[in-house]
Amino acid sequence: MTIVKKSLPYLLAVVASFVAAGIFIALMGFDVFKAYQTILFTSFRTPNGFIQTLLKFVPLLLLALAFTIPLTAGKFNIGGEGQMMAGGIGAAAMGIMFADLPAIILLPLVILGGVVAGALWGLVPAWLLYKFNINEILTTVLFNFIALFLIDYVCTGPWRDPAAGHPTTVLIGRGGWLPMLVNNPPLHSGIILAVLVAIGVYIYTSRTTGGYELIATGANPRAAGVFGIKTRRMFVLSLVLGGAVAGLAGAFEVAGNQHRLIEGMQSNFLQLGMIIGLISRGNNGAVPFVAFLIAVLEVGASAMQRTMMIPVEVVFIVEALILLFVLLSDVVRRK
Amino acid sequence: MENKTILELKNVRKVFGQIVALDSVSFALKRGEIHGLLGGNGAGKTTLMNILYGLYRKDEGEILLRDQAVSIEGPRDAINQGIGMVHQHFLQISNFTVLENIILGTDVKNKYTMKLEDEVVKVKELCQRFGLNVDLNNVMSTLPVGARQKVEILKALYRGVDILILDEPTTNLTPQEVDALFESLRVMVNEGLSIVFITHKLREVLSVCDRITVLREGKNITTLDRKDASEEVFVRAMVGEKMDIENSIYFATEERQIFDRTSVEAPKLKLENVNLISQDGVQRLKDLNLEVFGGEIVGIAGVAGNGQRELAEVVTGVVPVSSGKKIYMGDDVTSKTNEDLLSSGFSYIPEDRLSDGFLPKATVAQNLILGQHRIKPYSDGRFINWKTVYAETTKNIKEYNIKTNGPGDVGGNLSGGNIQRVLIARAFSMDSQVMVAHNPTRGLDIPSMDFVYQKMLARREAQMATLLISEDLDELMRISDRIAVIYRGEILGVLERSEFDKYAIGRLMSGISPENQPSKEKTLP
Repeated sequence: MTIVKKSLPYLLAVVASFVAAGIFIALMGFDVFKAYQTILFTSFRTPNGFIQTLLKFVPLLLLALAFTIPLTAGKFNIGGEGQMMAGGIGAAAMGIMFADLPAIILLPLVILGGVVAGALWGLVPAWLLYKFNINEILTTVLFNFIALFLIDYVCTGPWRDPAAGHPTTVLIGRGGWLPMLVNNPPLHSGIILAVLVAIGVYIYTSRTTGGYELIATGANPRAAGVFGIKTRRMFVLSLVLGGAVAGLAGAFEVAGNQHRLIEGMQSNFLQLGMIIGLISRGNNGAVPFVAFLIAVLEVGASAMQRTMMIPVEVVFIVEALILLFVLLSDVVRRK
Repeated sequence: MENKTILELKNVRKVFGQIVALDSVSFALKRGEIHGLLGGNGAGKTTLMNILYGLYRKDEGEILLRDQAVSIEGPRDAINQGIGMVHQHFLQISNFTVLENIILGTDVKNKYTMKLEDEVVKVKELCQRFGLNVDLNNVMSTLPVGARQKVEILKALYRGVDILILDEPTTNLTPQEVDALFESLRVMVNEGLSIVFITHKLREVLSVCDRITVLREGKNITTLDRKDASEEVFVRAMVGEKMDIENSIYFATEERQIFDRTSVEAPKLKLENVNLISQDGVQRLKDLNLEVFGGEIVGIAGVAGNGQRELAEVVTGVVPVSSGKKIYMGDDVTSKTNEDLLSSGFSYIPEDRLSDGFLPKATVAQNLILGQHRIKPYSDGRFINWKTVYAETTKNIKEYNIKTNGPGDVGGNLSGGNIQRVLIARAFSMDSQVMVAHNPTRGLDIPSMDFVYQKMLARREAQMATLLISEDLDELMRISDRIAVIYRGEILGVLERSEFDKYAIGRLMSGISPENQPSKEKTLP
């Protein structure tokens, strides 16, 4: 009963945003119902569509968590993209340097390389915040640019694949490839790890003392500090954890999808991750469900563009409207 | 004649959201009287007067001024109609002089040259007439609270008001300053002014007011002549029928047994020569020595801002001492942080509940375990036992009378008084050896205050130590075994319960101690 009551505003927000965007699609002269059919059902009509959705789901979930974990402590991590790229670089570096190692050593090394590199990319802004009180929003954004140019350097530098037309590195060692769950169409096993991470994050924040301290810090850092919580350490911890999760997403792109580092792998996961985090209102437990919904929309959007020539940007409009309506529903409820 | 009604509020109603703050309240003020507006927190006293002063709009009802219906849209309207208000928190510019503060916002004749001879003459005349002596050239920030309040009253008088509203005017005044204020008020009404005196302190209205109106929960309870009623009648009107006055501590009259320190060997908490120098180099605490024994309530009296907050934070380990020693049950805990102390038997009710003590975005349950979230029974160090937490929270909500939808309710939904109850429940629900309570009853109604006192006395019975820092001298005298007076970060004197005397404490609060009386002269410019 209370769950229905609680989720009602969100369902209304989703419906309202679809209606609003529908008007927009109709004005552009397209068939609204057909467009929505494509958007909503592509993921479930074919195995390929479903696997595409799951593959989109993994980075979306991880990037959203990279945003919501620091948000729990009241900090804004806008550097998920950079941390993901750093994770990709770390993973690729391991996979290329130790290409000959057997899978049992190389695979953990590749994943760990990604996680550690992502965590480091979160640690620097966190340290700047801890030591000099420099706003983390600024530093995490700026670190995105550093990662962007670093990936450019790596992909055009010594590990460059001369045969490729696009800046990419050579393939990582076979042992570093994530095992496949389904071979055709390909679905890598990273999804299992990603879901485990999401469950772990949920348990950590809702059940442990450390998670409680994160929440208390986010709720009122001054009061948390007065009652013995080392809030500045919590800030650092949350940003490093966020970075590590984003780094894991980068490692999956390398070890699961491309088996090499490709420039442009970050896509628009940062923005979508933040939208997911905000629609979930920072609730780590809600993130996987929202992330799945957005993955469905994203896959549907590409299909819609292919079959109906409606620009994918329409789905951006829907996503933005959902966020807007969810935030509005908060205001309405308060009245 | 003198007793003609000058102002009347009729059937005023005001609703905030779902809360009815005022329900058909009427109030009549006569010319030349001091009219007390008495009631506990949340009774609606200040809301009513804010409507009169134009800060709030009434939803229903009317205001009659000199028998004419008026509409007051803002403070400027109110002042033009001759109504002035002195707020509990002064609205002053601290680096302006007294004179500049008084004339600020009025039409000055020599606007561009700022030659203020005429104004000086006028203000000086007012000072003399009403016995409000302040040096007009002093800079505001250098003045004690009593003088700043005089300035606030002069501000209203200078604007030619004949109705003056005083909102809790005695907060932060020493007893001597309170007496002086009352004398001035008497002069004012003799000159034909009318005064509304808002307070929750019964003794004060009884000693200065001509008539008294009692509000409770947004309703008129009664209006009585001071002469016609006994203290008992007002007490009943204020607290309602529910409270058991016979057994209350708030209204207790009999002397309680004096704490016998000879039966206890060592203090639970001892501060030795504690100094605290703030980051900007100001000495906040100076050579402070203090002992709190088990089974004792030690009160700290002082005008706000004399180091009380710093003392609380030093004791609880929120800020480290600059020098000196802190001893807890015989162990040196000088270098221990608040994290260690809260886990080893300290509890703390901070003064600024919203900023220092409460998590508005977290649930009531999460708020209740703050600071104790690492220790049993709430946690095994790694995982929080939410089942126990929720059970305890449900119990505490009931015992401490917290009005909320349940343990999972978001803290931000609670009202100020209920937030204070959460803080009190948090501190009292653990059997802490040392409690630091800073203004613990602020924002509570009388039955709740009484409940807190009962709890403190229960701690005393259980041989636990309590440090009560309060701005309410009556509260301190009611409940403490000893009172230490703090002035500019220094303890000027410690009085035993048998030596409690309002005026003696008041002298110490204003920095006059038997030993350093001459030095007081030196500090004057």
